[in-house]
Amino acid sequence: MRARIIAVLAYAAAGLTLAIAVLVPFVLMGTFARAVAHAGLHVDASYSGGTVARTFTRSGHQIVVYEPVRPHALQRVDPFVQIVFRPAASLPAHVSEDIDLDGDGQADVRVSFTVPADRRARPAGEVVALNGKYQSFRMPGSYSFSKLMVQSGDAVLVRVPLNSSAGLVR
Amino acid sequence: MVVVPISTGAGEALLLGLATGPVCLASCGPVVLPWMLVQPRGVRVQARQLSIFLAARLSGYLLFAATVWLAGSVIPRSWSGRSWLFGGVQVLLAVGLLVYAAGWPHTRCSFADSSADGSSRLVQIDEPPRSHRSRSHRSGAVTLGFLTGISVCPPFLVAGVRAAQLGSLADALLFFAVFFFGTAVWFAPFVSLGVVRRSSSFVTVARMVAVLLACWYAFAGGSVLIERAIYG
Amino acid sequence: MASRVLARPPAFRSVGRSLLLTLPIALWSLLMFTPSFREPGRDRHIGSLAVILFMTTLFFLMMRTGKTYQWRRWFFVALGLLFPVGFIASLVAVRGTMSIPVERMVSGDTPFCYMVIPMLFIPAALARTIIFPGSILPTANNPHSIAIMIGIWLAMTLVVGKGWCSYVCFFGGIEEGFAAIPKRARIGRSVRKLDPRLRLVPWAILLFVVVLSAALFEPVYCMWLCPFKTVTEYPAVHSVETALQMGIFITLFAGLVIVLPFLTKKRTQCAYFCPFGAFQSIFNKINLFEIRFDREKCVDCTLCQTACPIMALSAESIREGKTLMNCMKCGACVDSCKKSAAVWHLKGTKVALKPERARLLFLYGAWAMATMFGGSILANSIATMLHWLPVK
Repeated sequence: MRARIIAVLAYAAAGLTLAIAVLVPFVLMGTFARAVAHAGLHVDASYSGGTVARTFTRSGHQIVVYEPVRPHALQRVDPFVQIVFRPAASLPAHVSEDIDLDGDGQADVRVSFTVPADRRARPAGEVVALNGKYQSFRMPGSYSFSKLMVQSGDAVLVRVPLNSSAGLVR
Repeated sequence: MVVVPISTGAGEALLLGLATGPVCLASCGPVVLPWMLVQPRGVRVQARQLSIFLAARLSGYLLFAATVWLAGSVIPRSWSGRSWLFGGVQVLLAVGLLVYAAGWPHTRCSFADSSADGSSRLVQIDEPPRSHRSRSHRSGAVTLGFLTGISVCPPFLVAGVRAAQLGSLADALLFFAVFFFGTAVWFAPFVSLGVVRRSSSFVTVARMVAVLLACWYAFAGGSVLIERAIYG
Repeated sequence: MASRVLARPPAFRSVGRSLLLTLPIALWSLLMFTPSFREPGRDRHIGSLAVILFMTTLFFLMMRTGKTYQWRRWFFVALGLLFPVGFIASLVAVRGTMSIPVERMVSGDTPFCYMVIPMLFIPAALARTIIFPGSILPTANNPHSIAIMIGIWLAMTLVVGKGWCSYVCFFGGIEEGFAAIPKRARIGRSVRKLDPRLRLVPWAILLFVVVLSAALFEPVYCMWLCPFKTVTEYPAVHSVETALQMGIFITLFAGLVIVLPFLTKKRTQCAYFCPFGAFQSIFNKINLFEIRFDREKCVDCTLCQTACPIMALSAESIREGKTLMNCMKCGACVDSCKKSAAVWHLKGTKVALKPERARLLFLYGAWAMATMFGGSILANSIATMLHWLPVK
């Protein structure tokens, strides 16, 4: 009798599995995806650039400064600040801006670059640190997640590495 | 230099240890996990092994702190020898993991030796004599614990910088010791591995993981050493 | 005894009965691909129609012959071979290269791959962080978002369990394709003589990448070990480290996905390397369907062991009437068994009592998922190829 009940339950569960299969494209996939989307997760800041700290409006374009990204302890990425110039289409052919990254009213870096006509090309330019908190660099040159100057979507994205090596192993 | 009284320093060390514990866990966990998994089943056994590991780690902490203190500088963040030490310790950790994954010192020559059916020692589970086992397990925990203790991980550096502001070597050592106990709390869950059922497959997997992690540590440490050797 | 004889899987069914059993899959295929006919584009319509016919015909042949493995393999190999075609073509069209430029990564345009899933859990639980350069929700540049792909994986895993590896995974199809080329295995016997504990390597790699990914906050498997980067996408080579990564990808792909499957007729990467396969094996414990052995009929001829493409059978497991945990339910052992001792089984029921019923219940779910997921990839790849063909 017990074996029979278990068998009936097994067939019921198999039927349920088939029902799940039918529901996958119409209900379940979306439900699970929504659950993941609403789980309060975020893409790691070393990829996404973190959260926006302040925005400066210029004639025709904006400069968006992000909060400094301090990677997790053993992450093989250096700390950096992301700056986004957008829209790329409205930027002058050559951009040169002194930017206050930490909100203290003093400019921290001078960012200059030439906006390439080709949307896939990388801008050539440089970042000059105006104090010891940030690192200067030139592009084209070696790059990493914390030292970048690229076109991304309709924007030019610059990542300025911080000078502090606190919290990093390497 | 601002001198911090030790009464304040001890409280801060404990809080610092508790706060940076997850980072210690991430730093030392990859070494502790496979090591604990190859140990025999039982919460008591695991607790003993973990205690030995942590005690060796503490001795590594204290020895390093005392050495740099006596040398005149308590681990500045920009200390140039950090990369050399980090790289060297990582390579030693790789060697340690490989040695214990291969079953040494249970067998005299684990890599070269092979059984009758030609299978590698690396995937064999051979029970050594009981006396050998406890001795070698202890030495394994001591070696790996000590090496993780001197591996200059980020929380270690933070503690080092704070310890530098204390008045004497004794205060600095006390600061490190209390800091260590703060971080050690985070390792307690590893004892629960003792209740996980052990099978030969389980131990084999743990040993293989140790080998893979050894490869990673060798790469990470080796690349730092090579980088330093080339670029200074 | 009589009921057991009656319940034995027939060598083949009548055409009418096979058609009747195929009808649900035909309707499902139509339902899945009807939306693509509403969109403009002749290439897309041809691709969809071809896939409807392909999937329905294969299912019909499964019903008609009572065999599973050989017909599933047609689909699976087609999926494995055509997936890179469609995927690479779309990458080249959008980016002009197979490599992932850093600007694509920082803008969240990297398509999400299910291989990353096991590495996500610890960082997500501890820091609510996803360690992958994609986007959580779909965007115009990246429809293969993290939430959508995890949703698909979760839903399909509930239905097929480890069957993922033989009905869904396009990477496995590439390997199975190379394994299918030679008539006989050149070193098949050597593979069977390998230390059985080497089957545990995927578990070790799984634990290794999970632990290290949690420590480093990066998807270690994708960055260092995935052989299939060679035929999908890879970080642009711009340093010694990225060159080393590329070298590892190519070596693993050449060795484990091309050369060894060709020599052994086994899916060596799946059997001895893939951590995602090990991860999916966990879901075999909760999946209702499995392969079992009727010990009364089994003569220990080991034909099933020879046939199994991922070494999921051992002499000991067969003696116990079971497969190993990594069985992917491809049906190779069942089809190869001359004594009908290897049978499909629904957990909770008596072994070998109604194996064909268990097979049908599993196959409807698995084939529905294969049509929905793999079928859409096939249709897309066919449309891409038609688009690139000079003849219109």
